[in-house]
Amino acid sequence: MSVTATRMLARDWRGGELGVLVMALILAVGVVSGISAFTTRLQNALEMESHRFLAADAVVRSGREMPAQWLQEAGTAGLDVATTLTFPSMVYAGEDAMQLASIKAVSDAYPLRGELKFSAEPFAAPSVVASGPGRGEVWLDSRLFPLLDVAVGELVQVGEAQLTVRGAVRGEPDQAAGMFGYGPRLLMHYDDIAATRVIQPGSRVEFRQLYAGDSELVAEFMAQLKPRLAPGQRLLDVSDGQPGISRALERAERFLLLAGSLGVVLAGVAIALAARRFSERHNDYVAVMKSLGATSSAINYLYGKSLLLLGALATAAGCLLGWAIQALFFTLFAEQLPVQPGPSGAQPYLVGSATAMVCLLSFAWPPLRRLGQASPLRVLRKDIPLLTRKSAWDYLFGLVAVSLLMLWYSGDWRLTMALLAGLLVTVGLGFVLAMTLLKGGRLVGMSAGSIWRLALAGLQRRGAANALQVVIFAMAIMLLLVLVLVRTSLVDEWQTQLPADAPNHFMINIGPGEVQSVDQLLREENIRSEALYPMIRGRVMAVNGVDLPSPEEAEMDGPRQRETNFTWSDTLPTGNELVAGEWWQPDTDAAVVSLEEEFAQRMGIEVGDTLSMLVGARPLEATVSSLRSLDWQSMRPNFFMVFPPQVLASYPATFMTSFHLEPDNKVFLNHFIREYPTVTVIEMDLVIDQIRGIIEQVSAAIELVLAVILATGALVLIAGVQASVDERLHESSILRALGARRRLILGGLLIEFAALGLFAGLLATAAAELSVAILQTWAMDMQYAPSPWLWPLGLGAGMVLIAGLGVFSCRRVVSHPPVAVLREL
Amino acid sequence: MIRAENLQKRVPMAGGELEILKGISLEIKSGETVAIVGASGSGKSTLLGLLAGLDEGSGGRVVIGDTDLSQLDEDGRAVFRGREVGFVFQSFQLLPALTALENVMLPLELKGQGDAREQASHYLERVELSARTSHYPRQLSGGEQQRVAIARAFAARPAILFADEPTGNLDTRTGAHIIDLLFELNQQEGTTLVLVTHDLQLAQRCQRRLVLEAGELVEGD
Repeated sequence: MSVTATRMLARDWRGGELGVLVMALILAVGVVSGISAFTTRLQNALEMESHRFLAADAVVRSGREMPAQWLQEAGTAGLDVATTLTFPSMVYAGEDAMQLASIKAVSDAYPLRGELKFSAEPFAAPSVVASGPGRGEVWLDSRLFPLLDVAVGELVQVGEAQLTVRGAVRGEPDQAAGMFGYGPRLLMHYDDIAATRVIQPGSRVEFRQLYAGDSELVAEFMAQLKPRLAPGQRLLDVSDGQPGISRALERAERFLLLAGSLGVVLAGVAIALAARRFSERHNDYVAVMKSLGATSSAINYLYGKSLLLLGALATAAGCLLGWAIQALFFTLFAEQLPVQPGPSGAQPYLVGSATAMVCLLSFAWPPLRRLGQASPLRVLRKDIPLLTRKSAWDYLFGLVAVSLLMLWYSGDWRLTMALLAGLLVTVGLGFVLAMTLLKGGRLVGMSAGSIWRLALAGLQRRGAANALQVVIFAMAIMLLLVLVLVRTSLVDEWQTQLPADAPNHFMINIGPGEVQSVDQLLREENIRSEALYPMIRGRVMAVNGVDLPSPEEAEMDGPRQRETNFTWSDTLPTGNELVAGEWWQPDTDAAVVSLEEEFAQRMGIEVGDTLSMLVGARPLEATVSSLRSLDWQSMRPNFFMVFPPQVLASYPATFMTSFHLEPDNKVFLNHFIREYPTVTVIEMDLVIDQIRGIIEQVSAAIELVLAVILATGALVLIAGVQASVDERLHESSILRALGARRRLILGGLLIEFAALGLFAGLLATAAAELSVAILQTWAMDMQYAPSPWLWPLGLGAGMVLIAGLGVFSCRRVVSHPPVAVLREL
Repeated sequence: MIRAENLQKRVPMAGGELEILKGISLEIKSGETVAIVGASGSGKSTLLGLLAGLDEGSGGRVVIGDTDLSQLDEDGRAVFRGREVGFVFQSFQLLPALTALENVMLPLELKGQGDAREQASHYLERVELSARTSHYPRQLSGGEQQRVAIARAFAARPAILFADEPTGNLDTRTGAHIIDLLFELNQQEGTTLVLVTHDLQLAQRCQRRLVLEAGELVEGD
């Protein structure tokens, strides 16, 4: 039988019988494995990127010195280790120059990941170096040189240690950590710390142990270390590295998963349609084989084997397509990626292959399985009915399989439910609507009198088959519309989130005396800036009179004494939204405070609670009057705690703002820093560019995936049209044989298919709106807004596509002699 | 030997049941050649389908040799057909995916016969188509296709050959040639031949003729 199975496949392939089936399988596998490989590799790349922001693969930090034994153990386990210590301290130089600086002491191996940048002179072109300053040396932030009035080679004093200035520190991989710190950086060697004698019990310091190495070894070591951590010792992992990009990427990943799930549904429908047509056309073969003595099990074995063979070939081709999709993308965008993505491994291709198996078993096998029950009597009588009609069980089986695939693939039941709801509405409403519309009038015959009568008669005559077709077309169009809609709103939201003129620099430590002149300077230079906000460092000590645990004693992420920035404002700050309580009247002198929602949640604070705080050594009490939500990615000055101006007026404050600077205007910064040496400018433009770059790449990936899914959708339409082509060809050929003109037949077919497309478009658009509403509100955490342009698009696309494909598929009827067409059927 | 006892076939219709065969009883001896004749719609093909085990009757039974077909399910009948029965159809019923040789090999392969290729070649030679073994059905003329079908029917060495209007799709000359071939092979192989036909000339070549009229056997000689 094996010869027969391969022969049959080969012949069917040549005859075009298998085209849609194979293409649908290849696309299903390609989409699934391609997306899966793409997201895996992108995640790897971003994980590496996050490691860069930690300067290590994993970090343990604490306010107290940690056991050196951990580092030794890690070294024995084959990991690279380094230590850093950060603290604020005064730095002295010359006769009377002094400046508060953020000191960072690093061991020789620092950094383990990412790049440390150095220049021999301040403000000169930086170069990447392998390690930090040697013993007895320091590197200073360029700004510290004028502030301390020192030059390279001169001495500065930190605590009791005299250290030589070797050059300027121009960039650290883990710079972002504590960027609202205590002034400009001084980088020194870890072993010089003891000589400074500045670290005393209770000093505000942060120790870090850095670990890097083979990812499995690191994970293993961290798993061992975790239970040994004391309160106050915290393990930092990649998610702490760069939260800015994570949300955008999380959504992009969800979109890709959604697209993948839709691809699988579409491919599944195409496979089911193609398999059904295949089995209908094989009914007569089976009848002959049965008349020659083949049993049902022999027939099942033959077709099962053919299907497996076909599945194996299509899976291999699909994996290749998937590999090509992600390889194409990474080749095109390799330069823009911050790090080279690692290999994806075999997992994505296994996922793709498993998808193919599930698709074949749940969509292709049910109609083929029924071939075994075909009546052998068809060798004598063609009027014996086909036994390949789908049963309700097949639909249910397919639906369950599709749901499980979507769930398995997206790992998100909300997304799955939203799509299922859309699909079920399409199917349910579709049948009701289609049957009503199509079976409205009395049944008529061929009605070949005019194009319109012919078309309408055709619609009614094939009522049930047409209703099924409308539902299938509607499903395909709906899924495509959902994808286009979600993609559009996703890209729109990203663009509004980070508009081209979003603030890209922060300015902090502006003295009260400098506020007016800085504000004026920014205006004069035509630089768009946010308002200047006062900033006061304070610490929350107790809630409702109950002391909070100290950071050393507190549970990770639980309520604890916390130092944060306070500000004051009469009005709700730009971009903030009130979620509980009320905003205060301007000029109030009530001791109230407004908290950021998530901060309050973490600290276990609610509206009405009384907070006891310390600002410097001075106590402050206030009642929580409201909670606010705000967008941390807006690049505006954002604060956990906002007070009325009167409450904080007597406390010493510095001011901050954020502003947008064009790239060709960067020279302003040098000028500004010289004029205001105590003000710290934080350049976020590189980070923003990076975020924007990644978002652009991901958008491009989304377009690519969208194109592949559109191709799958087109396949469903083709398979759907093909399913009814035989019958239409048969009728049209008879009409042709009886003398009907080309125009009558083509016109009739055109109107018939266009009407089907119109109904399908109508259903699809309604169901797509519903699905997208559920998806965006539930699964994607986005605002839903109806899209009026969707209706003309859905209806128009339905009509044009279906009419075009339908007439194209039936063109043989007018290009070939009717006898030839009839003989083929 | 084929024996039909009170064989009936009814099919449900919109206005009630339609009785296609109204209790047919007949006997056909081993090696006999029998023609079933009658007008269109008289039930000839239905009778053939029942006698050959392609269909189940609504009443009565068909016994071939020691086997009561009405006691078998479809798979049982399939095995029986593969072992005992051969067919020649009006529309040839060759599988378009297979070459002439593969079409003839098919029933032998289904029986698990190891020498399918040799046997098939031998029978194609006997129908004078050795030169066309690797041709697909669409590359053969109607007469040639029917010769392949005859080779396929005899290659499995059936005890009984059922032929349904074997010349119905052929011109008179080709038809006559096919009939000669059919009878010649039948004689050589000693097969029982049951054929359904309109063609009185063809019917005359059989030892016996059964005439069906509206589902009843009206004449048998």
